[in-house]
Amino acid sequence: MSAIDERRNAGRVVVGMRADAALFLPRPLRTSACVCFFRAMKRAAWTLAWLLLGCHAAKAPVSQPDDPSRLRSPEAFAQVRDMGSRSQALFREASKVMLHPRCTNCHPPDDTPRQLASQRPHDPPVARGNEGQGVPGMECASCHQDVNLELARVPGAPNWHLAPIEAAWLGRTPSQICEQLKDPTRNGGKTLQAIVDHAANDALVAWGWSPGHDREPAPGTQEIYGALMQAWLDTGAHCPQGGLP
Amino acid sequence: MMQLTINGIPHELDVDPEMPLLWVLRDILGMTGTKYGCGEALCGACTVHIDGHAVRSCVTPVRRASAKAVTSIEGLSPDGNHPLQRAWTEMGVPQCGFCQAGQLMTAAALLKKNPRPSPTDIDRSLAGNLCRCGAYNRIRAAIQKVADEAKQP
Amino acid sequence: MTLSRRVFLESLGLSVGGLLIGGGGKLWAQTSGLSPNVFVHIAADGVVTIVCHRSEMGQGVRSTLPAIIADELGADLTQVRVLQATGHKKYGDQNTDGSSSVRRRFDDLRMAGAVGRMMLCTAAARRWGVDAKTCTTEGGFVMHTPSKRQLAFADVVVAAARLKPPTSPNLKPSHQRRYIGSPTLPLLDGPAIATGKAVFGADVKLPGLLTAVMLHPPVLGSSLASYDASRALAIRGVRHVIALPTPQPPYKFQPLGGLAVVADNTWAAMRGRKALVATWSPSDNASYESSSYRAEQAETIRKACSVVRSRGQADEALGSAASRIEAEYFMPHLSHAPMEPPTATAHVRDGKCEVWAATQNPQESQNVVAAATGLAPTDVTVNVTLLGGGFGRKSKPDYVGEAAFLSQKIGAPVRVQWTREDDIRHDYFHTTSAQRLEAGLDGEGKLVAWRHRTTFPPIASLFTDGAALGREGELAQGYADYPLDIPNVRVENGPSKAHVRIGWLRSVNNIHSAFGINCFIDELAAARRVDPKAQLLEVLGPARRVTLEELGVEKLPNYGHALEEYPVDVARMRGVIERVTAMAGWEARTQDRERGYGLAFHKSFQCQTAIVVAVKKSRSGKIKVDEVWLAADAGLVVNRERAQAQMEGAVLFGMSIAMYSEVTFKNGVAEQLNFDGYRLARMPDAPRAIHVDIATNDERPGGVGEPGVPPVAPAIVNAVFALTGERIREVPLSRAGVV
Repeated sequence: MSAIDERRNAGRVVVGMRADAALFLPRPLRTSACVCFFRAMKRAAWTLAWLLLGCHAAKAPVSQPDDPSRLRSPEAFAQVRDMGSRSQALFREASKVMLHPRCTNCHPPDDTPRQLASQRPHDPPVARGNEGQGVPGMECASCHQDVNLELARVPGAPNWHLAPIEAAWLGRTPSQICEQLKDPTRNGGKTLQAIVDHAANDALVAWGWSPGHDREPAPGTQEIYGALMQAWLDTGAHCPQGGLP
Repeated sequence: MMQLTINGIPHELDVDPEMPLLWVLRDILGMTGTKYGCGEALCGACTVHIDGHAVRSCVTPVRRASAKAVTSIEGLSPDGNHPLQRAWTEMGVPQCGFCQAGQLMTAAALLKKNPRPSPTDIDRSLAGNLCRCGAYNRIRAAIQKVADEAKQP
Repeated sequence: MTLSRRVFLESLGLSVGGLLIGGGGKLWAQTSGLSPNVFVHIAADGVVTIVCHRSEMGQGVRSTLPAIIADELGADLTQVRVLQATGHKKYGDQNTDGSSSVRRRFDDLRMAGAVGRMMLCTAAARRWGVDAKTCTTEGGFVMHTPSKRQLAFADVVVAAARLKPPTSPNLKPSHQRRYIGSPTLPLLDGPAIATGKAVFGADVKLPGLLTAVMLHPPVLGSSLASYDASRALAIRGVRHVIALPTPQPPYKFQPLGGLAVVADNTWAAMRGRKALVATWSPSDNASYESSSYRAEQAETIRKACSVVRSRGQADEALGSAASRIEAEYFMPHLSHAPMEPPTATAHVRDGKCEVWAATQNPQESQNVVAAATGLAPTDVTVNVTLLGGGFGRKSKPDYVGEAAFLSQKIGAPVRVQWTREDDIRHDYFHTTSAQRLEAGLDGEGKLVAWRHRTTFPPIASLFTDGAALGREGELAQGYADYPLDIPNVRVENGPSKAHVRIGWLRSVNNIHSAFGINCFIDELAAARRVDPKAQLLEVLGPARRVTLEELGVEKLPNYGHALEEYPVDVARMRGVIERVTAMAGWEARTQDRERGYGLAFHKSFQCQTAIVVAVKKSRSGKIKVDEVWLAADAGLVVNRERAQAQMEGAVLFGMSIAMYSEVTFKNGVAEQLNFDGYRLARMPDAPRAIHVDIATNDERPGGVGEPGVPPVAPAIVNAVFALTGERIREVPLSRAGVV
């Protein structure tokens, strides 16, 4: 039930709705109480599922159905004895972040960034340009600031730009992403530790968890994401095999 | 207090550092050539340069321009004779004219970095500047004309 | 001539024989010189000032109307000062709307110049001792060609000012015209625009000026129930939060009510608005939901409706037809979205109000300000700035009333600045329409019956609460006046109740009538396997002037003109169709493997326009408009260069309608916020080339600002069919995912 339905049923407006929320209604997520409740229920259901499946999960956590909106910490994979399997499972878990629209939208395999949960082409139309910074007159920083803008709805973080085309995540499988991350010809010649540090500490990466406005954040936290990546590296940086994105 | 240089003139301002540059220009400094069209960086009417880069001033906190050089339409040329301004008038580009300061500033930023743009380059760089009157074909032609003339020895 | 003469004098509020001297505009009231009427002043030093009484919004009216006067006056246009008129009845109708500025005022303005010319000639002739009829004017001089003498205006203006103005001025023959019809009239405001010096609605500077940002009720008909302004007032720069009166239907041009946050600057006012807490009373319009409304409209056009025009027995002929072709077409609400959102500045003091506004209608602004303040309209001075686009939005001065109300309340000058969100969400929306067209063929495949049903919440609802049928003037736009050379014709209009403010948007109901008719003719052509051009010409029929009887109506509003003066002339319609198809290489189009071609024709505002569009698929498989050809016949065109710009712009305006733009409603609230939701064509969408051909003739002037728009969308949709075989009957095409 949307806020306006509630108002209509009550025959009178719900008191306390913020004026600007009324202005921008009926965007679904603006008054988010019901949404938060829904998310909490979903989370609880998954927790329950994990409890019920606990023993199986302990044996083979990787093969269990998983909630893509929830990010498990490295500890959840401690039971996986085989280091290679554990490493693969850790990367697969971390890839939930990489494959979230907050991240894929700026890791496109072409010259066009995406936007929104629908991952539609960025509008106004923008082009990658040199260094992923856009083209003259239409640079990323022509519009995007170092912070999210509350009134203007424009998302922002320091050094807003596109990931290199070699680092495309949109439409890739976790396995493909992992292989390209490890490939020095495609990862900008970085060490794996540098890549892990980037994931754990970069301010633009951090935006994924505080995207502003009504955008859905990436799953988990940057801290967990960084820990997963570190644990993946520490367990030998094995890549998951095949599978769907 | 914030130090800004606008069209070569230094200013010292006591304003909310988060106030968009657009409103500092228009409401505080009375420089109204830069236009408000959407407030969300979707139309380009407010485009100015900061250190030569085109930015949408409606979403640019004034703090970002601190100690930098801002150029607005009023400062694009000393006496309105920038080649683009001349081409705009000669070719009858403007209709209502409201978007044209933004179009000109974006075009000037393009030509500065890419003096010989292809038609695709022009389209890409100007894609963020809406013109409801639909003067796009003349804007394109005027930019091309200036670029072509610059090629002549 | 007699009729125009009467109109001219009435427009000045004068009786025959009493033309005003020296009582022109405020500017020269105290100066000496010649003011033969309110449009012209020649100072003692010869400087010519011409008043532009219509609003400049991109159509080039300030570069056009003064040229008409200057031509008859014999002034040097490059030296003429153009003064923008304030709102005043002495100028006649100033509503810059309906592509009417030249169309309706051509003769008036020519006479305004001619009176001045004759007075100057008489004064010079007396000095030379020659017959005034042997003198003429050109380039700021009075000339006597036989004796090769000339005098500058400055040399005769004082003597001319003492003369009695002629009561029946004679007009220059067309071969003596220097500006009217010239392809190269200068663009008056071009340099000011290119340097950022042009003054638009929000660019007015006054000492102590405050800025107001509005919080309008989210749903039409709801009103402020309660509010808490404490957080808003705590923001630095916010001075006042003021509630506005709630309007009552019919809404007309009343301000929408709600709250205003008044602040030292726009940013503070915007932040203040975000910090407001407000609650609103319920409204019946909260039930407005676009998809269910569309379904209701579809039901409406499947049943018999009110008859707009009828000839023969269409229902019977359809019933007995050997075969029938039918189709339904839908168009959504549109927002005007001028690049400059509505804005106005007002200062109420000492029982008077001065306004500076981007308005198409300064006289109606006087009335709206009067209603908002209790002042008399004559105590309201409306200064007209340049308009950053109008498209019909700014002929509705609700925002001007807001500014005046707030200034009176606060006792300071106030600028009201609508945000883009306000503009898109609280517009006077272009209507949303459904149409059903049916054609019957006899046993030989001949077209014998045509039935066209349309329904749309009408503009009438803005002025008459609950009105659900279009007024005669609305239905004359492509429904009642379209020539159909078919023996049995019936056009019907079904009711649609308005839940939002419905207004006129560039070319108005011609947008949907042209869409339905042109798409259907293309469908007929496909079904009958004939060339779409041949089908179009067959429907229009042979060259002739169509009578009311043939149209099947008792009378025709005809955009305010007598049918004898502005006939429905099929020869001119066929002319633009032939012209545009020749330009586009229509006959050879099948050899073009890459592109699909679509044709459409429409007449509106006394201008016939035909368009061919070529579309192709981009690498990503999306439809791209590649090239456009447009032929227009608007009779005598004063400013051909600006007319061409209007036609080029109309192509882009129509492309937005065809491809991207729609406003949809949910719970009575517009779902689009800004240009991310309400999409417009951008530069990469613009065709590679737009070829415009404007006919040269001496027919009575037609409109040029709007008539380019209606045929664009159907031409694109028909071109998509030609390319892909996919028949799309609803715009924007983005809905179907093809663009």
